[in-house]
Amino acid sequence: MQRKMLFAAALAGVMGASGLAQAEPTEITLWHAMGGRLGEVVDEMTAEFNASQDEYKLTSIYKGGYEDTMTAAIAAFRAGQQPDVVQVFDAGSATIINAPGAVFPVEDLMKKYGVGFDIDAYIPGVRYFYADSDGKMIGMPFNSSTPLLYFNKEALTKAGVEPPKTWEDFEAIAPKLVEAGYVPLAQSHSPWIFAENFHSRHNIQMATANNGFDSTDVKILYNNDAMKMHWSKVKDWKDKGYYGYYGRNWGDNQDAFVQGKVAMWLGSSGSFGGLRKSADFDFGTTYLPYWESITKDPKGTFIGGAALFALSGKSDEEYKGVAKFFEYMTKPETQFFWHKETGYVPITTDAYALAKKAGYYDETPDAEVGIQQLSLPAGEWTKGYRLGYYVQIREVMYKHFEQLLNGDETVDAAFDGIETESDELLDRFKDTYN
Amino acid sequence: MKPRQIIDHIVLILGCLFMVLPVWIALTSSTHSAETLFREGLQLWFGDQFVENYRAVLLEQGGVTKTSTALRMLFNSLILGLGFAVGKIVISMLAAYAIVYFRFKMAEFLFWIIFLTLLLPLEVRIVPSYAVVAQLGLLNTYTGLIVPLIASATGTFFFRQFFKSVPDELLEAARIDGAGPIRFFIDILLPLSKTMMAAIFIIMFVTGWNQYLWPLIMTTDDSMYTIVIGIKQAFQVLYEGGELPRVQEAFALTILAVLPPVLVVLFFQRWFVRGLLESEK
Amino acid sequence: MKRVQFSGTPLPYFFVLPQIAIVIVFFLWPAAQAVYKSFLLEDAWGLTSQFVWFRNYEDMVLDADWVNTAVFTVIFSMIIAFASLAIALTLAVRANDILRGASTYKTLLIWTYAVAPAVAGLIGNLLFNPLIGSMTHLLHALGWEFDRASNGFDAAFMISLIAVWKQVSVNFIFFLAGLQGISKSVQEAAILDCRSRSKRFWTITFPLLAPTTFFLLVINMTYAFFDTFGIIDTTTRGAPGGSTQTLVYKVYTDGFIGADLGGSSAQSVVLLLMVLVLTAFQFRFIERKVHY
Repeated sequence: MQRKMLFAAALAGVMGASGLAQAEPTEITLWHAMGGRLGEVVDEMTAEFNASQDEYKLTSIYKGGYEDTMTAAIAAFRAGQQPDVVQVFDAGSATIINAPGAVFPVEDLMKKYGVGFDIDAYIPGVRYFYADSDGKMIGMPFNSSTPLLYFNKEALTKAGVEPPKTWEDFEAIAPKLVEAGYVPLAQSHSPWIFAENFHSRHNIQMATANNGFDSTDVKILYNNDAMKMHWSKVKDWKDKGYYGYYGRNWGDNQDAFVQGKVAMWLGSSGSFGGLRKSADFDFGTTYLPYWESITKDPKGTFIGGAALFALSGKSDEEYKGVAKFFEYMTKPETQFFWHKETGYVPITTDAYALAKKAGYYDETPDAEVGIQQLSLPAGEWTKGYRLGYYVQIREVMYKHFEQLLNGDETVDAAFDGIETESDELLDRFKDTYN
Repeated sequence: MKPRQIIDHIVLILGCLFMVLPVWIALTSSTHSAETLFREGLQLWFGDQFVENYRAVLLEQGGVTKTSTALRMLFNSLILGLGFAVGKIVISMLAAYAIVYFRFKMAEFLFWIIFLTLLLPLEVRIVPSYAVVAQLGLLNTYTGLIVPLIASATGTFFFRQFFKSVPDELLEAARIDGAGPIRFFIDILLPLSKTMMAAIFIIMFVTGWNQYLWPLIMTTDDSMYTIVIGIKQAFQVLYEGGELPRVQEAFALTILAVLPPVLVVLFFQRWFVRGLLESEK
Repeated sequence: MKRVQFSGTPLPYFFVLPQIAIVIVFFLWPAAQAVYKSFLLEDAWGLTSQFVWFRNYEDMVLDADWVNTAVFTVIFSMIIAFASLAIALTLAVRANDILRGASTYKTLLIWTYAVAPAVAGLIGNLLFNPLIGSMTHLLHALGWEFDRASNGFDAAFMISLIAVWKQVSVNFIFFLAGLQGISKSVQEAAILDCRSRSKRFWTITFPLLAPTTFFLLVINMTYAFFDTFGIIDTTTRGAPGGSTQTLVYKVYTDGFIGADLGGSSAQSVVLLLMVLVLTAFQFRFIERKVHY
């Protein structure tokens, strides 16, 4: 058995080596987290890229959720088996950007192997989200989304109300929606929408050290009055039946909206394509509501979603292929296709212009809401954030939000908990990555 | 029938319902359309989508799991189940044979080394185990999937006990006939162990088929996914949502995942029970 | 040991070699690595690391989350062990007593052994789905506002039920074998001695089953510690509020999902010590059994 194993190892080695030597075209691999309809679109784009040239062959592999994909990439990297490109989500970006030597920065890659790089070609909202502290773009924004309010038009008409602009509006219309037989609001992913983007929308600082961009020596600032006010309202809404919580999984909350049980749902602009297929009613989209009592001048939201990172340790040949692939991905036509099929926003100004020119927004004005929201005037705290172990910090938030919602914790206790536990994690991250 | 016996039957029937109903609902719901399940809830009786759903799950690439076809995954599970069972039996039988039938210096020490495996479940060494397999270049290979799992203290204990119970006279007689250790093993011990091997085989096949954590970590290529990993992927797709949940296909996948090991257990029930009683001891 | 043995040949070394090689390469070496890593702070990609002595252990025990998880794991294991043992014993006693249909019942009760925990998890998850799940509808109809999304007790109830469902079969088989192993003469004597059926069970049958029960308790605890991973990973993933997270699940989420290898390794080492204790119990029992 042992001998057989060694033989298998040797065989794998030989095959790997000869595979490289004869490979024509050069193989490049992408690991991504785009399931469902999104995955089908990625497959179509992969096929198109492969058909567009014959020097490189791209293989796209779906690795499960965002966390699973990142985990798999890390494990593979440690074993020297990493893919050329991996999709890493917003919350994981600190882990990859702060580890010097793990990534080939996209800006350097494009300059060295590609057609050059111009950060200003990207729309303002996405430019610096995946950049390092010097403003160099490290990961290429790929599926950039932003939280939107989806509303069931039929439900709103039945209740005789308009979609809310502010949370004050929402409080006014919620009783009418309840009367009409709906749960007024549900949401997928509360840390993303009711914490991170809450801060961006109201232009509130969420962490010290310039939201974490300047240093890993950083403290979380979630324990603030605006957040606490908002969450005591959310708790209140849940108790009054204005707010339905169907669990952490994205799907169950979205399904409640699709079933027509929930009148309005906070989701991602990237959900647009899927909803168009699954919902059997007319729905519209609008900006993420804000509190007029906090600000009269709401700002844009963060981009969410994920970016593509070229991992280090690959050959020149493969990097050339990666550069080529990135070039293909940022082409206006590709971006427009991606935008149209999924609802993720186009990441370059050219692509946005193309979508406008093609008349896409005349047919489906709702598809433009996401990018319009991202293009709202920027504030001091709308650039993004860079926080270590943020995956765990989101877990911490979920935990306390859930305890708050079911009445196990007061709002104060929940946010004290979030602050202490997040700071401990940030502290561990600082000591690990310095 | 006496009232006491009626109560016995009622309790047993309730127990059976508790065991069977969940999978029954999975089976019946797997024959409906996504629309029906989504609008009307899970179904207790069969629908008319049996062929469509199972065909989609078995044959369509990127169906409910967004990865391989269930057919491919079933094949991988079969290899894992067989490899796991055969591997465990072979190496633990050999080790037990050495320990029981040979006088050699390190016997005791080696026995304790094997015993250590009981103390080190996969969960406590998962990250480094992955690194080892990766360094050997065994990621996404059947070897890498199976070999790290087949060391087994329980298997070795079990055969050790069994060999000890074999009468010494057999060995004496064999030696008088001039049989060496290999001849003795093949001609005498193997035939005697047949039932035991079959019993252990059933248990180990089921255990191998149902492995979760290890395949989850070490298969990064979807052509290597087992059906149980397919279940995880189906769950992931439902979790993330974005489309009308394909609950019917998820259920079809669960039925396909349980059918082979359940059939094995039912067909070989006698051996299965015996193997379970012997191997867990 | 055997009175007669082969000797003076290198054959036994060849025979144990495969097993020993696997144990060293895939068990001892990785376990040693886990212990070593538990003293390091290392970045996810393995590019830098520093030796920090017991920092990871300190952070771990100071982490309220870990402590809660440990408490939950212990309670969860006991509930699963007791519930599945009680159900299995009830069924086994009856299956042993009845005259007709015993083998049909037996078949219907043991087949769930072959269902993988992850599969049981997915089925359970859908049955308890808040929108379409039959169990959710049933519980709501019974007046229980079942809400696994925000109510920790409800979520824990769900995963316990799935875990018990999966474990009854093993316990049933062992109990039934234990009951059938009680000799006819003992049974007949018992019938003469105690007329009451329940008294007979508690004074005679149950004590005779005690060794089996104790042994099963260990098996069930081990199951609840480790094998429920697949169930949790396809149902709650520890939610809500970490109220259904077991220690093994936390090792996985911190190490694999959160990319904190040092912290996760420290947790692994603590788990390892727990296994040591459980195995010590179990092995004492095995040895005793071997001697008798």
